[in-house]
Order: sequence, then C-alpha cells, then structure tokens
Amino acid sequence: MGSKTNNKLVIVILVTLLPIIAFIHLSSGTISIGFSDFYSALTNFDAQSTNQLIIKEFRFPRLIMGIIAGGGLSIAGLLMQTLFNNPLAGPNILGINSGASLFVAFSLMSGVPFFSSDFGTIISALLGAFAFGLLILAFSMVVKSNVSLLLIGIMLGSFTGAFVSILQAVSNPEDLKMFIMWAMGSLQQVEFSQLPIIFIFFLIGLISCLFVVKSLNTLVLGENQALMLGIKVKYIRIFLIAITAILTGLITAFCGPIAFVGLAVPNIVKLLFKTQSHRTLLIGSLLVGSIFLLICDIFVQLVESTIHIPINAITSIIGAPFVIIIVLKRLV
Amino acid sequence: MIVLDKIEIGHASVLFTIDNLQLEQGEMYALIGANGSGKTTFLQSITGVYSPLKGQIVIDGSSISKFNRIDKAKMISFVGSTFDGVEYLKVKDYLALGRTPHTNIFGRLNATDFKVINDTIKLLDLESLQEKYTKELSDGERQLAAIARAIIQETKIIILDEPTAFLDYANRQKVMELMKKISTELNKCVIVSSHDLELCLESEIDLLVVHKIERKLRLCKANALTKTELISIGF
Repeated sequence: MGSKTNNKLVIVILVTLLPIIAFIHLSSGTISIGFSDFYSALTNFDAQSTNQLIIKEFRFPRLIMGIIAGGGLSIAGLLMQTLFNNPLAGPNILGINSGASLFVAFSLMSGVPFFSSDFGTIISALLGAFAFGLLILAFSMVVKSNVSLLLIGIMLGSFTGAFVSILQAVSNPEDLKMFIMWAMGSLQQVEFSQLPIIFIFFLIGLISCLFVVKSLNTLVLGENQALMLGIKVKYIRIFLIAITAILTGLITAFCGPIAFVGLAVPNIVKLLFKTQSHRTLLIGSLLVGSIFLLICDIFVQLVESTIHIPINAITSIIGAPFVIIIVLKRLV
Repeated sequence: MIVLDKIEIGHASVLFTIDNLQLEQGEMYALIGANGSGKTTFLQSITGVYSPLKGQIVIDGSSISKFNRIDKAKMISFVGSTFDGVEYLKVKDYLALGRTPHTNIFGRLNATDFKVINDTIKLLDLESLQEKYTKELSDGERQLAAIARAIIQETKIIILDEPTAFLDYANRQKVMELMKKISTELNKCVIVSSHDLELCLESEIDLLVVHKIERKLRLCKANALTKTELISIGF
C-alpha cells in the first residue's frame, strides 16, 4: 500500500511549506519590507536601518516564537493524548496553563510594579506553570490510574479558574485589562535577546521526546499491556508530564495561554498520517503545529493596523471546527 | 518451568491453595473454575501483578518477585479476552510492538526482530491482514493478531485470560487448536483460562481445576475427567 512512502511525501511537503509560510509571516505586517532587508538583517545587521530593526526586534522573534509555540504545544498535546489514551486531552488538561494564569493574575493585580512588568509576568507564568507541573507530577506518583489523574488535572483547572475569576472581580480596571490582554495570547511579547533561552528549553523538550517514542508506541495499547511489554509506565508518566510542563510552561510564559493548538493539531496529524508511529506523529505535530500557528498569526498581522485580534480567537476559530469534525468522525 | 509449591492465592482472603504443581514448557493447560474462584487472581499472580499471600511462584529457578520488568516481559506474555484494536494502528505495527522488551531504548527493530515477526506471520497465516488497520479486523482476526503479538514477544510462558469468550464456535476451536500447536511446536508453556468446559475437554489438554470444596488447584491430565465429574468438582 506504500503508506510509508506517502507519509514521507507528506513530511517533505510540510518541510517545504514551513519556510514558505515563515517568509509570508515575516513579510506581512503594517510596514512592507523588501527581500534585501531580510537578507542584510540576517547577514550584515545595520541598527540604523528601521526596516532591519523591525525585522530583528519584532518580526524575527515573533516568527521563531510562532514556530516554537505551535510546534511545542502540539507535541505537548500529542504526549498528553497518548498518555491519557484520550484524543480530547491537551497540554492544558493538567492544569499547567491554569497554574500560569493564576500566578500571572496574582502578579498583575498585586499592584507591585515589578510584578506587573513584562519581565514580572514572564517570571510569574513560568513559576505558575512549573509549580502546577510539579503538583500534577506529585499527584501522578501517588495516583495509579490515568483517568483519576486526568480528573485531578481538570479539577485543578476549575479550582484555579475560580480564583482567577475572584481576582478579576476585585481588581481595578487597569490591571484587569492587562491580565485579559495576557490571557488572549500573543506572539509579539518576545524579544530577540530572550530567544536563546527559549530555544534551549524547547530543544531540551524535543530531545527528551526521542527517548519516549518507544514507550508512546506501546502506551496506545493501554497501560496494562504496556506494563506486560516491559514498559516502566510509572516513570514514563512522570517523564511525559515533565516534558509537557517544560514546553507548556515556557510557551505560556512568553505567549500567554494559547488555546486549541495542543488539542487540535495532534488530531489533525493523526488524520493526515493515519499511523500510530510516534516518531512520525511527533515530527508531524512539530511541523503542522508551527505552520498552523504561523498561519493564524498571519491573520492577526493582516488586520493589525486596524484592530488587535488576539491569536487565541484565531486559533479557536480555525481549531474548534476541526475538533467538532474529529468528534463527529469518532461517533460515526 | 513454573513451580508452584505451597502457595496461597488471593487478595484479602485466601481464594485457593496449591500444594505442589509443576507447569512445563511444551504443554498447554486450561484453567477452569467457577466465577470468583480466583482464576484471574491466579493468572495475575503468575504475571506478577499481585503476590501470592503465601509462598513464591518460581519460574526457571527464580522467584517471579525478583524479576525486573523487562526480564518478566521476556518470560511471560499476556493475551486478554478482547483486543479492541487501536485507531490508525496497522496489524504489522501492532505485531512489531511484541518486540518491545527486546529492542533498545529507541525501539528500532533489527534483522532478528523482523525474522521473528515474519516467521510468526507465516505460522499464523496473517499475510493478508498485515496491511490492515487493527480496527478493521473481525473479532476472530483481532484475537489471532493478539496471539501473534504474544508469540512475537518470544516468551517461554503465554497466558491467555478467557481468549475465546467473545468468539463464535469455529473461532473458539481455532484458537484452542492453534495454542495447542504453539505449545508443542514452539515449546511454550501455555495457560488458558476458560469457562467453556466442552471446548477444553474436546481440545484434549491438561486441566487446572479450582476444586470448589477443597479450595485447591488440582492438575487433571487430559481425558482423565468426564464433563459431569468436572462439573461436580469445579462448580
């Protein structure tokens, strides 16, 4: 049937598509910038040139963040869907996103200038994501069943959601606006100087994935069968949650809680490749996730001069119908 | 070889005891007993999910509790009563998962792995199913694939928990005949739990019966018992 070659072809197409989309992403925006400026911004940067400055300080970080956020959230979603054997799981199912939201809500509405600065927001989001990542990790060590763990994650989400609502109700309009802007998600907040650290964490997440491919392939048969095949399910679960926490925490800290990508993309990738080989699914999620989020952000850029549309609105507008289709397909 | 010597099987209370039994490679055993008599608990004690309340289950000279996960997966494979299939999982990829305990950390299959997989596919006549998705198979075909996966795992012991429960008559017979053939030809110790007395008697295999009054596991040689006798001691 040659489906292996088909899948290779799909990957080749995606790999070619990514730089094309990336270039469109770089060149769209309020100010139009020529190809020569891109070239010189990369090879021979001139800080006096406004165009080159825009590229280096705004467009390039935004592009890289788009690729990392799209790819990273999709991979995190895939890990969670396989771990919980549930196509509707996503990186935010474990309450990692809500942890970040809670901490950011606290810091923005604390009234302390340091915490309400951009840097303070990033630190709070990172702390929140990792605190909740650790919390769910601690739960995962004592809770045996994945369904129970999933339930605890959802409960953590509701619990923190309630706190965030209370904070919103009592905060002043200025702080509230800042929080809502953060919660809408955006790729614009990242600075050039922050890229290396983001990239290193992203790479750690990616490389860790190489070591769980075998376990993920086995986990699709269910925990019990995986155990009987010699997989140390307990440790693998901890490892998978740790990777998810790193990727989701990192991305949420810099972009806010981006919805739907982690849920929708792995499902699209499975439909596209029709396989359970996680090597293919991971590569697919990385590529499709990046392309998907960049396309969403191109829409944001197109109307940026007139209105500021949050990227979460676009991901959901495109992502939600996909999820509905997938749910319907499963019922048939 | 599994040695069961002075063992008590159960969770909270003792379900049954085993005085002294040896289960050999090259033999197939049908585990028979009433509902709640402890059949599943017994199988789980062999796979090491639970420990016996008393005594040690000894396989090839060492206690099962001393095995690490991978050694255990190389020693014992398990087939449940149903394999529902997994979306987008092809039969050949499913079969390859049987090699999991033998492959390295990245799960790469080597020439030996492929040989075992292909030999098993030939042995079980699964050539035509290889490229199909596990969700597309019939119940009988899926159970066959699950058995193939267990054979590919290359374990000395294969445990099947009511593998025929959801199959029609022809497929039930086919599974029993196949397992009997595998136990002798591939020199495996096969243990099958079953509620189907006729099928077990017909298959002419040794029976492990949970004696309902004595609460003891008894080994009865093939053809040693009639159906009426079997019912009277087991049910």
